[in-house]
Amino acid sequence: CKSQFEKIRLSNDVAKKYQEAMKLYNKKNYSKALILFEDLSQKYRGRAEAEELNYYYALTLYKLRDYTTARYQFKSFADSYPTSKYAEECRYMSAYCYYLDSPRPSLDQENTYKAIDALQLFINFYPKSERAVEAAKYIGILRTKLEDKAYANAKMYYEIGGNGGEASNYRAAVIALKNAQIDYPDIKYAEEMDLLMIKSQYAFAKNSIEDRQEDRYNEAITYANEFVEAHPESKLLKEVNGLKKDSESGIESAKRFIAERLANYEKYKSQLTKEAKRDSTATNTIKTPNR
Amino acid sequence: LDLDYFNPKEYIIGGTTLTGTHFIDKDVIITLSKLIKGERIILPGEATANAIKTLWAQGLFDDVQLDIAKIVEDTVYFDIEVVERPRLSSFEISGVSKSQKTDIMEKLNEKSGKSIINDNLYNSTTATIKKFLLGKGYFFTTVEYKTKPDPSLENGMILEVHVDKGRKVKVHEINFTGNKEFSSAKLRKFLKKTKQQAFYKVFGSGKFNKEKYDEDKVTLVAKMQDRGYRDAVILKDSIYQYNDKSIGIDIDVYEGPKYYFGDITWAGNAKYTTKMLEMALGIEKGEVFSEEKLEKKLRGSANGDDVSSIYLNDGYLTFNVDPVQTRIHGDTVDVEMRIYEGPQYTNNRITLKGNTITNDRVVLREIRTKPGEKFSKELLIRTVREIGQLGNFDESKTVPTPKPNPADGTVDIEYAVEEKPSDQIELSGGFGGGNIIGTLGLTFNNFSLKNIFNLDAYKPLPKGDGQKLSLRGQTNGKYYQSYSFSFSEPWLGGKKPISFGVSAFTSLQSNGLKPGNSNFQKIRLNGVTVSLGRRLNFPDNYFQLTHAINVQQYILNNYPGYLFNTGTSYNLNLTQELSRDSRNHQIFPTEGSYFKFTIQATPPYSLINGLNYATASDKQRYKFTEYHKWKFESQWFQRLAGKFVVMAQAQFGFLGTYNSAVGQSAFERFKLGGDGMQGFDFLQGSEVIKMRGYANNAVIPQGSDANIAQNSGSPIFTKYVMELRYPVIASQQATAFIVAFAEGGNTWNKFADFNPFNVRRTAGIGARIFLPIFGMLGIDYGHAFDKIPNIADGGKQNFTFSIAQQLGGF
Repeated sequence: CKSQFEKIRLSNDVAKKYQEAMKLYNKKNYSKALILFEDLSQKYRGRAEAEELNYYYALTLYKLRDYTTARYQFKSFADSYPTSKYAEECRYMSAYCYYLDSPRPSLDQENTYKAIDALQLFINFYPKSERAVEAAKYIGILRTKLEDKAYANAKMYYEIGGNGGEASNYRAAVIALKNAQIDYPDIKYAEEMDLLMIKSQYAFAKNSIEDRQEDRYNEAITYANEFVEAHPESKLLKEVNGLKKDSESGIESAKRFIAERLANYEKYKSQLTKEAKRDSTATNTIKTPNR
Repeated sequence: LDLDYFNPKEYIIGGTTLTGTHFIDKDVIITLSKLIKGERIILPGEATANAIKTLWAQGLFDDVQLDIAKIVEDTVYFDIEVVERPRLSSFEISGVSKSQKTDIMEKLNEKSGKSIINDNLYNSTTATIKKFLLGKGYFFTTVEYKTKPDPSLENGMILEVHVDKGRKVKVHEINFTGNKEFSSAKLRKFLKKTKQQAFYKVFGSGKFNKEKYDEDKVTLVAKMQDRGYRDAVILKDSIYQYNDKSIGIDIDVYEGPKYYFGDITWAGNAKYTTKMLEMALGIEKGEVFSEEKLEKKLRGSANGDDVSSIYLNDGYLTFNVDPVQTRIHGDTVDVEMRIYEGPQYTNNRITLKGNTITNDRVVLREIRTKPGEKFSKELLIRTVREIGQLGNFDESKTVPTPKPNPADGTVDIEYAVEEKPSDQIELSGGFGGGNIIGTLGLTFNNFSLKNIFNLDAYKPLPKGDGQKLSLRGQTNGKYYQSYSFSFSEPWLGGKKPISFGVSAFTSLQSNGLKPGNSNFQKIRLNGVTVSLGRRLNFPDNYFQLTHAINVQQYILNNYPGYLFNTGTSYNLNLTQELSRDSRNHQIFPTEGSYFKFTIQATPPYSLINGLNYATASDKQRYKFTEYHKWKFESQWFQRLAGKFVVMAQAQFGFLGTYNSAVGQSAFERFKLGGDGMQGFDFLQGSEVIKMRGYANNAVIPQGSDANIAQNSGSPIFTKYVMELRYPVIASQQATAFIVAFAEGGNTWNKFADFNPFNVRRTAGIGARIFLPIFGMLGIDYGHAFDKIPNIADGGKQNFTFSIAQQLGGF
């Protein structure tokens, strides 16, 4: 024995089906309503009722949280019936569905970019609409998400740091931090990122071989100076100045190390010459070390 | 009526009429066209084109025409004429088998319900069906159509498709003409997918497929050219009907002379010397000319020792080499290598795409192409492999895309990944010993512990941090219960590549009586393991070092079969493990090697506690187990010809004592033979090592008491395996391969008896299938050559099954 719903679903009386679908929709029985709407949307093609039907079809999908299909249906509605009274709402809902589909910052942000584009397009279409204000708010939230991601991923290189004595992660951190600031010029973490850049560059210099340290420390000092200029009132100044001082003393000790090495080498060379004099047959040739 | 295309003008629409419809509501069509009375329109302009496009897109008309009926001052009247056709509601296919029908329907399905019935539909449907059947070897297909109205759809028609497949054709013969150097048999071999039928070819012999035949012709020429005949071509080929079920093929080839390499010169190389490049190329003057070999040495060698790799591993991303044949004199070809080195690129932005479950960090921290480093193809490839090893992504769909910015010499690399289901579930019920035994095991390979209290993250479980959580329970009620738990985090604290793992288990076995009963027997085992592992950069960065502490407690209550019946025994040990893994794939490696060296040791209690073991009670003697254990395992994989892969494996284990007065430990011994499944043996903490062809635990030391040796295991074992593997299925859903194996292994009681060449031998065949949700399933048929004395059937057992060895967790 078939249920009432099954009977209607299998019947060919489209008008009755439509009535039943709307009844189910209003009763918030969306999953059943969807089955009927899906069926009807095929059969109503090219008929006057199609407009209303497709609108409710899209809304049903939205209520069922199938945002991917819903946004497609909203968009195709707005494209098919641009003069409809629901057109603005559908354009907005299509963009809003993208917004809802945007995942947390640590995942792929493809939908976030699409949501920003879609919301922006809505604002361009209906700049005076009340919904445009909402749309602008959502764009702000989405941008923050992208900034969070850029900051977190750049910071990661600093955090995983010099594993196994390799300095390359610190250099990666400096580059990633710079890129994040290029991509998001008014990023809200600017201050923290500038400090982290000095820290990373300092750590990079410190973990390098002595011959490279001077240049790399100097770069850290440059970043520190830029920080002071960019954020003169910052609470982080004390830490920045500390890093600058450490970099300066780092240069000193690197220079000392190189000088000492050269001195030892000179000592060794003169000893060899002495020995060479003693033993006239010895023919030692020595190259000067590369600096 | 002329419209000036250079001067579009605005008009008001005065009205639109529609002709040619039968079933469709006219007003709706006019609304859809957007040519609505009162609207303003620019002519000529996009609006009219869009109107036609929109109406076409409805898929209701065979023809749409838009005309301007008249223009009165600035008012324009349109006339739309359409040809309405019946709508296709569905297909009904006859004349083919059920499975063919499903396949054809799949190809046709996008049309049903969306098309109209016209000549175009007939033509495309016929083409689709014919092409499909041609692929199956049907050469003479005819298709006929009939329509019948669909009562459920206004103006809808069901299209009845009647297919006459004709007979399936096979290739009776392939004849070659014009070949002098190559024998016809050799040339037939070059046609990989087109074969002559023959009584001894059981599978798919001689089936003719036009598409594959066309591909084969290209391969045939390539193979001839590859052997020095660079002028080789197919002059003519013809397919003729041999009889009503088979065809013949005639191929006329021109071989031309055999060519050799002449002088090879280099131009444009600044970074590397000509001498170095010559060494990398490795082609000598006088060698048989082969473009394929040249290409391979320049660009495509698998182990990265080709000319391009030298540059591509050193930042020269836009490197290109063009081998130009500068002079052909007689049978000698001179080649000039024209090199474009380009700038040396540095990695800049490293991004990840497609991670819809796994957090960026889990993948990014594994990526070896870091910002600020020189671009390297080798590291790029290794990164792809290591992303695969995380187990959360489909390896075949991990695609790195370098995007060079020539302006500043940097390259952005995007790694596109695709998540795959990585969780495993084991749910089984069985009947054994008169009891129902049930098992529930869950393994989550991409768990996120920090979100365990965050309800929003449950979708359906907190995921994305690359941690692994396993839970498993097995019980048959009061006789046997076992529960285990394990958790591992590949990056401790998320900052250092130190893996951390913790696992615990408890299990209980009893004879089911009440604890007060005087015959009550029980054994309970509890254990906890904590481990830390770190990747090493020395000797190379494939190495890993792991430390672990295990504590196990055995509580025996009147339990027979052990060294003592009642009491408590502890096993506290420290394990060190050094391993190196360079296998290129987790499930079906084709290259690389794996080795592992493990030392496990307990404190030497007997040297400290001053106990006289000769006179001490069992309770005292066995309170603390003491031993030291050494294990070594190595695996090596190499691709042979085609898809065949050979695996060589060697294993060795030794359990030693600190003090001869204490005697050999009863725990932690090795049991060799059988399917390698742990089963109930974990109660003794012994290690079960599979050896196909023998029954479980059957390979015991020579001359030992079979009963004791089988139950307790042996302190020394060694095993060698040679395996030839061939992949049958390689997809995301399943990996399957067949194997042929030869094994040799043995066990010994004393080191003095140990002789690594005195082994018991087996050989056989088997099959493995890996399903992501179940793990690896295997079946083997093995034949043992050496009888084990004093064991039923000589210890032999032909069939061994192994199920879900990835799970278990004990």
